[in-house]
Amino acid sequence: MSIAHHPGEELLLAYATGAATEAVALLVASHLALCHTCRAAVSASEAAGGSLLAGIPPVALSESAYQSVISRLDEPAAAIVRSAGLSSAVPAPLRPYIGSDFDAVPWRPIVSGLSHYPLVTKDGVRARLIRVMPGAGVAPHTHRGEEWTLVLTGSFSDATGTYGVGDVQSTTPDVVHEPTANPGPVCINLAVTDAPLVFRGLLPKLVGRLFGF
Amino acid sequence: MMAHAAIQPQPIFSHARWSIRPRRRRIALVTRMDAPSVEALNAAIAAVAARRDRAAFQLLFDHFAPRVKSYLMRLGAGSPVAEDLAQEAMLTLWRKAALFDPAKASAATWIFTIARNLRIDAIRRERRPELDPADFEPEAEREAGESLDWAKAETKLRTALAELPKEQAEIITLSFLAEKPHSAIAVELGLPLGTVKSRIRLAMARLRLALGDGT
Repeated sequence: MSIAHHPGEELLLAYATGAATEAVALLVASHLALCHTCRAAVSASEAAGGSLLAGIPPVALSESAYQSVISRLDEPAAAIVRSAGLSSAVPAPLRPYIGSDFDAVPWRPIVSGLSHYPLVTKDGVRARLIRVMPGAGVAPHTHRGEEWTLVLTGSFSDATGTYGVGDVQSTTPDVVHEPTANPGPVCINLAVTDAPLVFRGLLPKLVGRLFGF
Repeated sequence: MMAHAAIQPQPIFSHARWSIRPRRRRIALVTRMDAPSVEALNAAIAAVAARRDRAAFQLLFDHFAPRVKSYLMRLGAGSPVAEDLAQEAMLTLWRKAALFDPAKASAATWIFTIARNLRIDAIRRERRPELDPADFEPEAEREAGESLDWAKAETKLRTALAELPKEQAEIITLSFLAEKPHSAIAVELGLPLGTVKSRIRLAMARLRLALGDGT
């Protein structure tokens, strides 16, 4: 399947420089696991980081620094673990958070057909998994900030188009959308928001507040 | 804020053998005159991986540790913390040398990613979501041109970085050496966020083009 919607260049750069917060880095890394085009873009950015490091004016270490490192070279180190690879539908960057099986995630129901699982929140930026049964959807909402949604299984559609596995939908505060999962496999998304969603209608507002959206 | 004032560049190289390289090479690489070549640094990591070569490690330490310290200080770390993490980065290099793949990155790029990740872990106390190369199908990798000759590509990339229009180079450098979201960079430079984003796109397109020519 080909990926049509990629994270913005500034998101890829923020991942490469290390400036991205953990939630954003998790979304970008999970997309990279599925998208070789963006992997090449991040490799180029990291190479720019290498060039900047190579050209930076050095700052001398203390005289004892080298000996101090040498004295630790023989310390036992943790074994380097190489994974078997391609063994799971869960992208590698996500496995430390949920393991390698989407079915084993302790999903928390929100409303019929919709459940979620919070992954990481820091400085107001949240990453969570959203699971939407085919035909179900998320009530119409806008955002105070930006929202990025990476499709991990299945697909969803809204007025802006259809998003399949590997696609990242980026929305800004001016977008009102009502994403609905398409028929077929269950739609599991990794959603990152940097501000709470703004639901339209009283019931969605209450539900949204209750579940911390 | 960038800690330019705290940077005191000092000559740190004591290895006479690296100062007698031919002049032609020094110009071609646009590096400091006493810096080992990209190929020499790659070979040193391979020697550490293959036979725990301590002379090779000392070369790598002398070259990279003061640069990693400098990088961390520019990102706001105090000198003692930057020094500790620079030492930690060199230990990581020693332990993970076998994972270095010159087809994926140059030595400097690999050390950059080690320092970047150590900093996220130790200073920001966050987990760094990382890729697992075993996840990728080799054919897709080749199509994406991810197996460049990075030693050659790095030379091209440095030239491309040096030739970027000033306003693009400024944003790329700030992105790496001042940890700020691009919205904050936009505010600091008095630019609309859209302008910052489009400069990033233009700059990255140029750098990728340079890498494409570097195969």
